[in-house]
Amino acid sequence: MFIVQIFMMAIRGLRANLLRSLLATLGVIIGVGAVISAMSILEGTQRDIVNRFESLGSETITIYPATAKSGGRSVGMYQTLVVEDADALADPRICPSIAAASAEVSGMASIKNLGRNTEATVLGTNSSYADMYSYRVAEGRFLTRDDVASEQKVVVLGHKVAEDLFGHAPALNRTVKIMSVSFRVIGIMERKGNIGFRNVDSQVMVPVTTAMNRLFGIRFLHAIAVKAVSPSQVETAMAEIKRELRRRHNINIRAGKEDDFMIFSQEEQRRQVSEVTTIFEIVLYSIAGISLVVGGIGIMNIMLVSVTERTREIGVRMAVGAQRWDILRQFLIEAGIISLLGGGFGVAVGFMMTDLLEKTTRVIETYTAPGVIVYALIMAILTGLFSGIYPAYKASRLDPVEALRYE
Amino acid sequence: MIRIEKLTKLYQMGDSVVRALDGVDLHIRKGEFVSITGASGSGKSTMMHLIGCLDRPTSGAYLLDNQRVDQLSDRRLARIRSTYIGFVFQTFNLLNRTSALENVAVPLIYARRGGVRAHARSSLERVGLSKRAHHKPSELSGGERQRVAIARALVNNPPLLLADEPTGNLDSRTGEQILELFHELHREGVTIVLVTHEMAVAAQAQRVVRMKDGVIIEDRQVDEAYKQELLADRLKGERGGGAVAGKV
Repeated sequence: MFIVQIFMMAIRGLRANLLRSLLATLGVIIGVGAVISAMSILEGTQRDIVNRFESLGSETITIYPATAKSGGRSVGMYQTLVVEDADALADPRICPSIAAASAEVSGMASIKNLGRNTEATVLGTNSSYADMYSYRVAEGRFLTRDDVASEQKVVVLGHKVAEDLFGHAPALNRTVKIMSVSFRVIGIMERKGNIGFRNVDSQVMVPVTTAMNRLFGIRFLHAIAVKAVSPSQVETAMAEIKRELRRRHNINIRAGKEDDFMIFSQEEQRRQVSEVTTIFEIVLYSIAGISLVVGGIGIMNIMLVSVTERTREIGVRMAVGAQRWDILRQFLIEAGIISLLGGGFGVAVGFMMTDLLEKTTRVIETYTAPGVIVYALIMAILTGLFSGIYPAYKASRLDPVEALRYE
Repeated sequence: MIRIEKLTKLYQMGDSVVRALDGVDLHIRKGEFVSITGASGSGKSTMMHLIGCLDRPTSGAYLLDNQRVDQLSDRRLARIRSTYIGFVFQTFNLLNRTSALENVAVPLIYARRGGVRAHARSSLERVGLSKRAHHKPSELSGGERQRVAIARALVNNPPLLLADEPTGNLDSRTGEQILELFHELHREGVTIVLVTHEMAVAAQAQRVVRMKDGVIIEDRQVDEAYKQELLADRLKGERGGGAVAGKV
């Protein structure tokens, strides 16, 4: 009962100067809004990254060419990774812990079907690619060993590319032009979304040999993706890869030579990405933190003005029996209400900002965890109380005689 | 009720020390109606602040209901203000955007008493304002505002009512009505100390204490002759520049 009355008294105090109270609230609204959207972006991005890694499968290992160095300076990538390396790694007699390996080259290219054309990633790969990621054809067939061996000009279209080029018309066995070279469509893939950091729906796949010789004019691979026979065999598989590639590339480590390739397990890649997201995290949290602090300063400012303006009222309250603690509590509760209201509206604003970001950028993934709301509200209340302490203390220390005399 | 002995209050004003009260002795019995009067700077406001437990004396003793209160902690003083003393001010000092009833309820909340609405309502009734309970101060006349302030002062049933120039902001007719209300409360047994510079107002009390330069220069019961004297304002010479309006 007593608490209710104290609370009502604070509400009346705030209502008595509504505009000022709302202005004080505004700072908190923006602060909490910033916290909510920052955390939603972070959480969304992290979930997105986790999903992408999961789509790759934890037994995936990726091999990239290493950076070549001359006199301590980087002089580009080694050009030593070849299709035969991938074939050797995929051979169970040579590397028993490896289930499959796909050679990869890729680049952006424009693809034409008569009048229509679209930009897509062209991935040169081999027959293992689809199986490695459980990526299925919806129509026709995927690339075969023969396609790769005989450098066929055939193409398998990602779902969205097929739609862009053919709409609902049949695409199978039609001819499309990739960088002015004619390819026959042999398959159309199911809708899949992301595999790793690539949206495979906007990708087309051609034999890796065809891509190297007829499209990109290169003799070396961009990467080899390897799948270990099981997640527990990843370490062994990585050792087999090292041994085999060193043998094939004539690298004698003991003689002081360096590897011309880099191997990343799923886990290592994950760690690298999480380093980047940690930086993001720090930046976003700092921005959110700063806006809360600014909100807090706003509250303190306005509470200080309010205390000065209400000096006489404070004197009267003391005269009619208020303890110093009663005055302190009243102003603290006022600050608390401001920040709680600001927090409430801030959550709503945060949701709107998050939604807006997701819709306008179409790149940023967001997810607002329920815990975030609780966290933001607690932060808001703490900010309010913290910035309310000094003004409230100042009010409670007023001398009743002086306060009553105040004009 | 009030027993003040050798009460002194010094203020530091820049380099000089001001003796606002200089060894004052004063006894006020339960149920008395006493006016404290004097010119501006005579020490009557300081006296009121000390009697009202808003301030502590530099030296001397103050016993309220046989209890030493001159050197109590802020907390104890607040408690005494809450239970023993009701304040009425010249400028009413009501909370502006709050209804009469809620204004009256404020001391009850600080006294942590239950039945807030009922007590506040009966206190408003006591000053004849129950019909205006839900009006804001801005919707009330000056006299009504002062009645609300008196209801607020009485709501905790304090034995002592302290009024500081209660008629100072009112026209003379309304002022008379407020004084009439004081008489009624006095008859009901409330001890009243009224601080004023107006002799005509002071004359309403049973006893007048006149102060000058921090000391009491006259303390006497009001009989008919003295009352006429005060009303006729024949003490003009000693009033000096006392008619400073608006001072709290």
